[in-house]
Amino acid sequence: MHTGRVVMKPRNQASAAPLKLSLTMSGNAVSRFLPILGEGILLKGLGGETVEDFLLKAGAVSPVYLKERVQTVFLNGKALDDFSTAQVADGDSLALSAAMPGLAGAVLRRGGFYAAMRRQISHEAQTQTAAAGEISVILKLFNMVARELGPEFLKQGVLVSGDQLRNFVERQGRWAWNGCLAAEADGQPVKVSQIAELVRGREWIRLSVQGSV
Amino acid sequence: MDKILRINMGADGGPQAKAEPVGSYAGMGGRALTSAIVSKEVPPSCHPLSEDNKLVIAPGLLSGSAAAMSGRISVGCKSPLTGGIKEANAGGQPSQMIGRLGYAAIVLEGKPKDDTLYKIYITKDKVEIKADSSLKMLGNYALVDKMKAQYGDKIGCISIGPAGEMKMAGASVAFSDMEQRPTRHAGRGGVGAVMGSKGVKAIVVDDTGCSARRPKEPDKFKEANKTFVAGLRKHAVTGQGLPTYGTNVLTNVINEAGAYPTKNFMWGRFDGCAKISGETQAETENTRGGEGSATHGCHRGCVIRCSGTYYDKDGHYLTKQPEYETVWAHGGNCGIDDLDAIAMLDRLDDDYGLDTIEMGATIAVAMEAGICKFGDAQGAIKLVHEVGKGTPLGRVLGNGAAVTGRVFGVERVPVVKGQSMPAYDPRGIQGIGVTYATTTQGADHTAGYAVTANILGVGGSVNPLKPEGQIELSRNLQIATAAIDSTGMCLFIAFAILDQADTFQALLDLLGSFSGQKLTADDVTALGKKILKMEREFNQKAGFTKEMDRLPDYFKKEKLPPHNITFMVKDSDLDQVFNW
Repeated sequence: MHTGRVVMKPRNQASAAPLKLSLTMSGNAVSRFLPILGEGILLKGLGGETVEDFLLKAGAVSPVYLKERVQTVFLNGKALDDFSTAQVADGDSLALSAAMPGLAGAVLRRGGFYAAMRRQISHEAQTQTAAAGEISVILKLFNMVARELGPEFLKQGVLVSGDQLRNFVERQGRWAWNGCLAAEADGQPVKVSQIAELVRGREWIRLSVQGSV
Repeated sequence: MDKILRINMGADGGPQAKAEPVGSYAGMGGRALTSAIVSKEVPPSCHPLSEDNKLVIAPGLLSGSAAAMSGRISVGCKSPLTGGIKEANAGGQPSQMIGRLGYAAIVLEGKPKDDTLYKIYITKDKVEIKADSSLKMLGNYALVDKMKAQYGDKIGCISIGPAGEMKMAGASVAFSDMEQRPTRHAGRGGVGAVMGSKGVKAIVVDDTGCSARRPKEPDKFKEANKTFVAGLRKHAVTGQGLPTYGTNVLTNVINEAGAYPTKNFMWGRFDGCAKISGETQAETENTRGGEGSATHGCHRGCVIRCSGTYYDKDGHYLTKQPEYETVWAHGGNCGIDDLDAIAMLDRLDDDYGLDTIEMGATIAVAMEAGICKFGDAQGAIKLVHEVGKGTPLGRVLGNGAAVTGRVFGVERVPVVKGQSMPAYDPRGIQGIGVTYATTTQGADHTAGYAVTANILGVGGSVNPLKPEGQIELSRNLQIATAAIDSTGMCLFIAFAILDQADTFQALLDLLGSFSGQKLTADDVTALGKKILKMEREFNQKAGFTKEMDRLPDYFKKEKLPPHNITFMVKDSDLDQVFNW
């Protein structure tokens, strides 16, 4: 049964180069973009890497942070208990979250005591090594993980689908570009009023957002 | 809290109030007390709206003291929705006020001879019961404003909206928050209908002149409280995640797990989830209302502050921050991805006095019946207005998903014992499904919520990797939760206690130093088992059989995408949950 429209399809990445959109925001306005990270950003990696290695190489993530802060992990929607052995493959979706409240949080927790209660949706150990070579993986950052890692990811630039950014702008309404001090598209200064037109029809956008110094 | 206030609404000559010693109920609070009174004093076969039912409102053992997080209150009765025993739980201010007034419980008994509507005003000096027809069919917001105007701005208010007056099985009892808004609700099971059947529109409490309840060992209590608060503040869930995002932080995670019931439990993922996630909600609130809008406590003494304030597009207050359950029920479960519409639905539920879970589940069943389309936010809002106005359609919907499904010929109705399932699909997280099926309360996620069961050693040790581990885990969780529900403590403390041994010890020290008696894991187990035993026995006498400890059949047959799984726990295993 169809589960709903899929926003990102890394295997079908268009051949056209993504639009590079760079924004400089004032004050706390960068945080307004963090929910986009929850919908997924596209990252490149190497097939067969463990989830842990993939994340460490993605940057802005330290081993200590991974171990202590990232308490809930999903690989293709399955709760992951051991990211030092599970491998990533092309087209995978990886989601990271801090510890979650309540019973659901305890049940979904990485290596948690209550894992048996979600056995049917737990990631099972792979018997085969994933194929080597360059791969694309969707990474989703939720809640406190987005808050803590997100600003650096956004500063470096993240690859998002055009639909994601357009939906985000629509959701924000009149607050969409509040606090935007400067904007550039493909290295050229643009007005915020031009952004909607620039992103229309674009399949991929490399979005970078940083706070003003 | 050495007395119980009994208010006989059907006494000859008019309603009468009498305070009496707690007697054999001494040492009980919260759910322990509501279930003890209901199981002892309410005939299990009575009609829930009859004079024989009782509505018991009981603060927790620590409510009214200086203990952090102790502002929860329990409302118990025979449920008009399930036909069994019910304990519904809420936050807000009245719990602490009733505790400081010295009442272990307020019990509404009997029934007026006519349809006169009453308000009850309780201070340390008096209990006043007055007829007031001007309150008839007022929404909770207007009602509380009226009570403030009449009794001042130091009051707490316990009230029903039009839904409770109309005795709908989805009706809630509202409790005012720190801003004196009716935003905290004892939602589940139709407790508001029972209050309506007693002819009581509002109970106004004023604890002016009362002191905080004193612990038996004040120095130890103070030290334990300090450690407890520090532990809550430093933990990632209670100190950061919940205050930043509220309970709606769960939307993205449960959706990712494929256990987010979507469009009447058809799918486990909702593609509009990003628009209604906790992250989006918090940013919206902080943008519109200013930084900090997404952080708010539901009662004084709450240090977690998982609530918040939701403003509309023009920056005006609309409602308190909708909870995960509300956002799911009115959002993903109805195919609605408009946060403003969901917030409006939350406001309407609060004002009309409706359980948001039951209401959302009911609207989804109505959508499956074709009454309006999935995703039609304005259509959903109209349906809630129908309920509030008491139209024929509204009367059907206001009585819950099971009734609605029956009236409109819908097979797929996600209820257990007549009560709608909350925001976790049991096919995805099957252990929660065990709790839905077996709890005495009907489908209820909070009945098995206290994840500290293993730390408390409740029920002995469990091998969680064994398939039957789910049964034992659910059992232990239900036992521990029943016990914690008696303390007045918010269940969200559970994670900090699970992870931090010193915070767990601080909780035990708080309870022990307050009562003067050391509390052990065995005590917690014994209390939890006692409560569950009372409740199970009541339900059995009310006609419940083991066949009612089941999920609807279609959960065993219909595969849930994206993982394409069915509920696989055997009936014979479900029957083992209460084998001890």
